[in-house]
Amino acid sequence: MTEVKTLRYPPLYIRLYSVWFRHMRVYTQNLLSNGFPPFLEPLIFLAGVGMGLGGYITDKIDGVPYIEYLGTGLLVTTAMFTSAFECSYGTYIRLEFEKVYDGMLAAPMTVNNLIVGEMIWAGTKGFFFTFAVLCVLSIFKIILIPYGLLAPFVGFLTGLMFASFSLLVTSFVKNINHFNFYFTGFISPMFFFSGVVFPIENLPDYIRPAAEMVPLTHSVRLVRAICTNSYKPILLLDMIYIVFFIMIFGYFAIKRLKKRLVS
Amino acid sequence: MVSIITVENINKSYRDVKAVQNLSFSVEPGSCYGFLGPNGAGKTTAMKIIYGKCTRDKTPESIVNVFGYDPAHDELSIKFLSGVVQQEDNLDDELDVVQNLMIYSKFYNIHASEAKKRIKYLLDFFELSDKSRSKIRELSGGMKRRLVIARALLNQPKLLILDEPTTGLDPQVRHLIWEKIRQLQKQNTTVLLTTHYMDEAFQLCNHILIMHKGRKIMEGRPTELLDKNIEKFVLEILNVELISKENREKAQKNIRIEDSPGVMRYYSNDISVLKDFADSCMESGNYVIRQTNLEDVFLRATGRQLHD
Repeated sequence: MTEVKTLRYPPLYIRLYSVWFRHMRVYTQNLLSNGFPPFLEPLIFLAGVGMGLGGYITDKIDGVPYIEYLGTGLLVTTAMFTSAFECSYGTYIRLEFEKVYDGMLAAPMTVNNLIVGEMIWAGTKGFFFTFAVLCVLSIFKIILIPYGLLAPFVGFLTGLMFASFSLLVTSFVKNINHFNFYFTGFISPMFFFSGVVFPIENLPDYIRPAAEMVPLTHSVRLVRAICTNSYKPILLLDMIYIVFFIMIFGYFAIKRLKKRLVS
Repeated sequence: MVSIITVENINKSYRDVKAVQNLSFSVEPGSCYGFLGPNGAGKTTAMKIIYGKCTRDKTPESIVNVFGYDPAHDELSIKFLSGVVQQEDNLDDELDVVQNLMIYSKFYNIHASEAKKRIKYLLDFFELSDKSRSKIRELSGGMKRRLVIARALLNQPKLLILDEPTTGLDPQVRHLIWEKIRQLQKQNTTVLLTTHYMDEAFQLCNHILIMHKGRKIMEGRPTELLDKNIEKFVLEILNVELISKENREKAQKNIRIEDSPGVMRYYSNDISVLKDFADSCMESGNYVIRQTNLEDVFLRATGRQLHD
């Protein structure tokens, strides 16, 4: 064989980082339109609940005022939405319309690297969006610092969960409009039935197990425990659930997307 | 000379379509190797198998060896040593020219300061320097194409894979790109190229492989392909009605006749034979006599019907 460069291809962490860097670069390109809304959203929420809805709900829920109850839930729903959008519409556009992945796969990078990098990026967005909500809510003393400082890490895990699941959904989608079903049928209901708006204990007994099965329920329980500094043993199960969820759905997402990216 | 790429007996099927069948070839370092073929001939699939974007069928007798690596196991090593220009310009529309290249320099783990120098050099090389801060949307098709080629050259590849690099570009850009490919070859870069422009293949390639329906049907040096497969000259008559039936068949033995709808073609190695024949049955100005080219070989080999 002919003489080959002695240099080796980049190590795994560089390959993952470079995928992350690509997404970060594109995201920060429109800093104002991408970076500002995450802070605006909780302000709108505060105005809505504070000026209107809150007046009707005077009882405490789980020992906290309603605005705090809903506010802590919002920490992770925002991570859910950003990650689900990123890894459904965003991924699909990069995959089918912009063909960005085809170019990236011509560089020293495997499909695994690409998808895992994608998930880490979605996790990062989850972290950032949770952080934005945390900033706003802590200014208004709805969430107390320093307890709440761990919340963005739950945002990161939430981002990873919804990234792995959304990527799996994306691997089946042949037409971008099909994501409507995913959002209306899965993501939106989760917002209402995972203990964000009201406690799942209030759900009828036959629906309750379903609420325990969906990912957001576990993120919400974890983030609330962090914000109220009240840790219970059940949180360990939530953590285990989250880790397994990410690994299992991540595995199948990679497996299926590989078929689409490498013919 | 030792080959840089050795491919033996590869097959690729998609469900009921056999995209590549029993393909073998080898590429010498520093050469420009061209794949010619109609749309759907399997050229792109063959390229993709080489850099691991496509997996070949698992058959025991198939071999792919690129720099000593098999893409089925070592795609990263191959990709690290190669630059790939795909058919589509998959640039990041939201970023500018330099940012697009910077992102790719990260993929190759090139240090930022070194990457900046390399990018400056490449933009210069492809005459894109004054566009360095332009958004991708503001670039013309030819500029995008040059940028994609520049991107493939970031890591100073030993092997450059170009999948239809000049399709849809105007003549100026095509000639510029050809010129750059020749320069790269002088710097000892091996080039693998697919095209359906015969003149492009003739201009650039030391070696040409003609594919049709997934199979190799011909290969060799461009001039060799001409010498072996077709007569030196052709007489083309576009107005078939001008020539009477008995005159059509009057052609001498050392003339080969090709009768396709609307056009009569007479092939011979002797230009004077063609001239005499033409003058004997029609006025000058109603016919063209020219040298045969690769396109004639190609059409003879793959037939004149559409292959889409």
